[in-house]
Amino acid sequence: MNPIIDRLAHLTRRTFLGDVSRGIGGLALGSLLQPDLLRAAQSEGGDGLPRLGLPHFAPKAKRVLCLFQSGGLSHVDLFDDKPMLHQHAGKELPPSVKGSQRLTGMTSGQTAYPVVPPLEPGKRCGKQGTWISDLLPGIQSIADELCIIKSMHTEAINHDPGITFMNTGNQLPGYASMGSWVSYGLGTENQNLPAFIAMVSQGTGKNPGQPVFSRLWGSGFLPSSHQGVGLRPGRSPVLFLENPPGVDREQRRALLDDLARLNQIRAEEMSDPETLTRIKAYEMAFRMQTSVPDLTDISGESAATLEAYGPEVRKPGSYASNCLLARRLLERDVRFVQLFHRGWDQHIAITRQLPNQCRDIDQPTAALVKDLRQRGLLDDTLVVFATEFGRTVFSQGQLGSPGMGRDHHGRSFTLWMAGGGIRPGMDYGATDDFCYNIVENPVHIRDLHATILHCLGIDHARFTHKFRGLNTRLTGVEEAHVVKGILS
Amino acid sequence: MFIPVRTRSLFLAALLCVSARAADLDYNRDIRPILSENCFHCHGFDEKSRKAELRLDVAESAFAERDGVTAIKPGDLAGSDAWQRILSSDPDELMPPPKSHLKLSEPEKNLLKLWIEQGAKYAGHWSFLPPQRPEIPEGKDGAVDAFVRQRLKDEGLAPGGAANRAELIRRLSLDLTGLPPSAEEAVAFESDSSPGAYGKLVERLLASPHFGERMALEWLDAARYADTNGFSIDGGRHMWLWRDWVIQAFNDNMPYERFLTEQLAGDLLPGRTEAQLIATGFQRNNMVTHEGGTLPEENLTNYNADRVKTLGESVLGLTLACAQCHNHKFDPITQKDYFQIFAFFNSLSDRGLDGNAGINPGPYISAKTVLRTDEIPAVEKRIAELHALLAKPDAAALAAWEKRQRSLLDQRGKGFAAHPVKVLNVSTPNRGSGLEFDAGNHVRLKGGGEMGVFDVSTELPDLRAPITGLRVVVHPVPELTGGGWGAGPAEGKPAKGAAKPAEDASQPAKKGTFVLTSLSVTADRRANDQINLHKLERIARVTASSWAPSYPPSGCLDPRNESGWSPELSAEGPVRLTATFARPISPEEVRNMTVQLNFGHGRSLVAEHLELFVVTGTDDDSDLAPAVLDALAAPAESRSDAQKTALWTACAAMSEDLNRARIELANLEERLAALTQPFQTMVMDVASKPRDTFILNRGDYAQPTEKVSPGTIAALPPMPEGAPADRLGLARWITMRSNPLTARVAVNRFWKMFFGTGIVGTPADFGAQGEWPTHPALLDWLAVEFMESGWDVKHLVRLVVMSETYRQSSAASPALLERDPQNRLLGRGPRFRVPAELIRDTALKAGGLLVPRVGGPSVNPYTPGDLWREVSHYGSTPATAQAFVQDHGEKLYRRSLYTFWKRTAPPPNMMAFDAPNREVCTISRGNTTTPLQALVTLNDPQFVEAARAFAQRIVRHSPDDAERLRWAFREATSRAVKPAELEVLRSALARERERFRANAARVAEVLSVGESPRDPSIEPAEHAAWMQLASLLLNLSEVVTRN
Repeated sequence: MNPIIDRLAHLTRRTFLGDVSRGIGGLALGSLLQPDLLRAAQSEGGDGLPRLGLPHFAPKAKRVLCLFQSGGLSHVDLFDDKPMLHQHAGKELPPSVKGSQRLTGMTSGQTAYPVVPPLEPGKRCGKQGTWISDLLPGIQSIADELCIIKSMHTEAINHDPGITFMNTGNQLPGYASMGSWVSYGLGTENQNLPAFIAMVSQGTGKNPGQPVFSRLWGSGFLPSSHQGVGLRPGRSPVLFLENPPGVDREQRRALLDDLARLNQIRAEEMSDPETLTRIKAYEMAFRMQTSVPDLTDISGESAATLEAYGPEVRKPGSYASNCLLARRLLERDVRFVQLFHRGWDQHIAITRQLPNQCRDIDQPTAALVKDLRQRGLLDDTLVVFATEFGRTVFSQGQLGSPGMGRDHHGRSFTLWMAGGGIRPGMDYGATDDFCYNIVENPVHIRDLHATILHCLGIDHARFTHKFRGLNTRLTGVEEAHVVKGILS
Repeated sequence: MFIPVRTRSLFLAALLCVSARAADLDYNRDIRPILSENCFHCHGFDEKSRKAELRLDVAESAFAERDGVTAIKPGDLAGSDAWQRILSSDPDELMPPPKSHLKLSEPEKNLLKLWIEQGAKYAGHWSFLPPQRPEIPEGKDGAVDAFVRQRLKDEGLAPGGAANRAELIRRLSLDLTGLPPSAEEAVAFESDSSPGAYGKLVERLLASPHFGERMALEWLDAARYADTNGFSIDGGRHMWLWRDWVIQAFNDNMPYERFLTEQLAGDLLPGRTEAQLIATGFQRNNMVTHEGGTLPEENLTNYNADRVKTLGESVLGLTLACAQCHNHKFDPITQKDYFQIFAFFNSLSDRGLDGNAGINPGPYISAKTVLRTDEIPAVEKRIAELHALLAKPDAAALAAWEKRQRSLLDQRGKGFAAHPVKVLNVSTPNRGSGLEFDAGNHVRLKGGGEMGVFDVSTELPDLRAPITGLRVVVHPVPELTGGGWGAGPAEGKPAKGAAKPAEDASQPAKKGTFVLTSLSVTADRRANDQINLHKLERIARVTASSWAPSYPPSGCLDPRNESGWSPELSAEGPVRLTATFARPISPEEVRNMTVQLNFGHGRSLVAEHLELFVVTGTDDDSDLAPAVLDALAAPAESRSDAQKTALWTACAAMSEDLNRARIELANLEERLAALTQPFQTMVMDVASKPRDTFILNRGDYAQPTEKVSPGTIAALPPMPEGAPADRLGLARWITMRSNPLTARVAVNRFWKMFFGTGIVGTPADFGAQGEWPTHPALLDWLAVEFMESGWDVKHLVRLVVMSETYRQSSAASPALLERDPQNRLLGRGPRFRVPAELIRDTALKAGGLLVPRVGGPSVNPYTPGDLWREVSHYGSTPATAQAFVQDHGEKLYRRSLYTFWKRTAPPPNMMAFDAPNREVCTISRGNTTTPLQALVTLNDPQFVEAARAFAQRIVRHSPDDAERLRWAFREATSRAVKPAELEVLRSALARERERFRANAARVAEVLSVGESPRDPSIEPAEHAAWMQLASLLLNLSEVVTRN
């Protein structure tokens, strides 16, 4: 790791959060004032300087929206119906299908593994005729936009490693999240908002849901200026955004002017570029105090728009409300927006919990995709509707009891993508008749990460950060492949 | 002169304006990094990934002829196939191959060319050879300065000027204690021109109890210290005794060799002490899980892998973790070496699923802190005073309280009505059945529940009066034990770790009851199955018809499972609890209410039959016990002694006026207990049947292959003669004189604390991929000196801070800045932003708020909202640390290294300043400058309050504005204010005075932040104006910078 070069590289990528502390000389301030100059400098070559040189090729997407369904969304119930599930309903999952793969400690002791077909019927949707559960009528209505990957798989079979794998490329802590990688690589296009914003909502099917962790939007070994900034409901959507009681904007302005004057005097005396950087950081903070409330103020949204997102949109902190904010963030060119919706862990009482979870997210998700389409944003926004793993086709607990649920299933699960770089209206990959094992086009989490980066014009293999002697990558040390079959 | 070091350092080299000089070529410095980065992956140590059986990391293989081809022929470029392939234009021939994405730069090629021409001399990796004490370059300088100046001279640079005294005392104080000097200390030092003044200051600071805190900070990062288990539910744990141990060890100047030995093997030392057991918590700081469904063997593998990784990075400077799945690609560490080290830790009796309910994962002991402090007598004295204060009726306080109670009682029941709600739904996360409700307001929670919250969604009746509160009625159920309200505790097992059930020995035991541990309410226009964490109604007061003494109704205002409401077992019939909202809700605004009832004591202590009402008018119950009500009702003059006592006892427990005293007492009692009582702490031990260790194929716990025994790395010197094959032997190996890494790595890490960057820029990686030291001879000299001094940490620190190199001014000319932006050549004093903790501590100190107590349990100072509950498993687990509850009193003002560290939601004001989340070993924190940092120091209540308190000190300091400004500036920055600066401050002051003079309401708002008392003798508008000045000063770049 060479901090100078790293810093210079970040600088030239114009991180909003300005990772420009030490040792850049006069460059620091200059870069912030004159991004164009640095953009020019970035594309220069021949001086032996390593550079990220991003994007590696023309990107199809400029931004990413990740709608993360935390807890393990049931692919069996929602996206992957098979005739065999109905024929075999209540009967034991054939051992040839179940194989010897490991189960979690929650079902490994069960004596029976009866097949449970999807809870609710569904219908064939979109030009590709994909099956989507009637629990998701909204998503049914956007099927034409979606590329549904039915052959996702992961080695993780429990939440912490699973959700960490999906979000950071490794099952263990200590790695950088997807959004922080993208911020690190591409920086921000909006000087008044962070490049990576994360929002959490609680599921109504299961509350509390499985915990989520700051590492899922953390920067790991990347500079902390790339960590996702949380957006929360209330008067300080970004922590500490609001001036203290009794201090208004005009007063704050005057104080910051005084502060800049004092800092300037000292910086000149000490030839201290970091202080000049800090002056800029205070100015950005001041701008955020208006740009963020402007972002979260939805009073200008039309009644039709609000209605489209559903009644929960007016409930601060809900998934629906976060969806609307996501659109407003993407409109403002925030690079990576990620929603985490909790509560998808249906071990128990799936018949009660799952409809609630679906109701939380269905209408807002569909409205968001349509809204992006309508505003022309979907063309260059990559949408990823993801989860950490699927659920077992067999029941956890007694078949048919109200307490019945499904256990974790990492061997196959479903997610969908849409927007910039992705071919719309298609299914990709397939599971067997019991939606248990993958029989066609398996897609590993690493492949998904490689594909996301590809849509952004980044070759995952060349996008590295040196840490502890290793050229680390989002896709890790094992092979990863861009899923070419889903690219537009 | 100096040859560019490696690809990624070329930029640095270019800035240093150095040019290659063939005579100086050094394999370790100049060649190995290029080969390592570009070639070793396929032609290095790892035989599994080796191509063409060629190794370029050892001469024998590189020089050997294979099928008539020689990779490297010393002195013969044309005969060196490797060189020819580097030049090749054929993509199939080119090295490194295009698909590796690696590319040699022209300067790198030139170096390789020179090297081959000069005979391709190989050398062992520098850090694997034991350090020898090098000759100190000639001159009058001390060793540190001599080596640094030699290098500067080689670069054609001169040392920088000396820092002035104000800078020096600030720098040294921050570096050795983490706290800036006071204005008075700075002035005194500035005016002390005696030759020994600086040395005296060094000694004073080295002797400060805060020295240990400052040194501990870096070690806590390395050791990934935290107060929660980290994975998944991330419940609380108790490890602060280990933190105390670290602080005390630094303060005692424990030799570093012992510091490591006790932490790695304290339990195996002959005649081990309790303190030595506590020390072993070092390798228990790793994250653990009790996530249901995870596999214990897999978890244990991860824990031990983390221990190996931490040992490697923090102690040995080796990226051992790279050898878990395969042989190390760059360093001579085999996968077998890895699992031999792994085996040292695989013998613990720890379990793969453990650590729930606030109980430490095993093994743990109960022990007393090793902290030595002289504060006990003072604490005991103050406790006695406070007890006396609270025991002795205070007429004024009592009168005020009585008056307040009377007015409440006058209002009691006024316009009261309870209106049944209509229950729409009942849910709980972990059950699918047993929840019933009728068409009205009755709910049945049958069969108890898992740990659990129950959310009841309701529709409100048509009302015209404002809704003032909520009432929960719990009915007895004849089928339950003794016809009680719940199943427990007489039958069923309370959840593991749940607090004591509500059972009073004096009462009949055989009656089922419950504990309502918390109550949350959301009101809305529409029905919601779940409460909304972002819109919880604030509850001002809770009353009940009956309560057991340790379970008062107010117990359910605290969201944690430890407190709650439970009726007296002697109560008959239904019991009720009434919550009054802080703000009445207009019935036009809401139609629905969701009520979350948390029965956090577990399965058996859930109420079964509930009825829910909303309340209009004033609550007709009281939170006063019947005896207190009787006493209040009696005329003052005819009260019996018992009645008087009852009244005062209630007043002492409840009166607002006595709140501060109660908080102080509780905090001091906790402090005294922390210093004198035993507490849980995690330790290492040896299991009675230790697990076998196997090499794991691809590092996968499920693929064991060859069995291995504990052992060290083959490429390094062997374990000392007679060392046992256990952790004690490992510690002996690590601390033996011939271990080439331990002392170098330690010295480098200390150096980094004082200069911002290590002599080796990659302090966790001294391997082939690490950076070449900027001052190799100095590093070795210090390492040898360190070992030969008996691993004397204070001696090492003294050597560094007494040097003139350390005492240089950090001011730099633009030319020097450009030449050496990172100050790697040390031609000026070090300058960097101070760590997160020190920024908060500095503000607290300026405000006079800092409570300088050392050690003890972690504390929860101000944090916005409940950030924990938003991400945690609150309500579904007996684990602790699921809901954030802010502390009060002195716990708001402790040093930041004592802030409770929840790994999945670390303190946001620390995270903004690059604090790591402490999930894994961190050796170097980032050092960013971001707008979020500005928001913290401007707006975080902790900093706003500090500004208010600082303003108070400024105003009290002098009646004269100019003197106040001078002092305040000095206090904030340690230096004298300059006229131009004073001018800015003066005009700011005039403006702020003007602003507040006209607006009393605003003054009150501004002064409202923070719980510390305000000096009422200071005119509020004046205080508010000065507070802005104080905030301005605390936000100066200079204040967060260590110059």
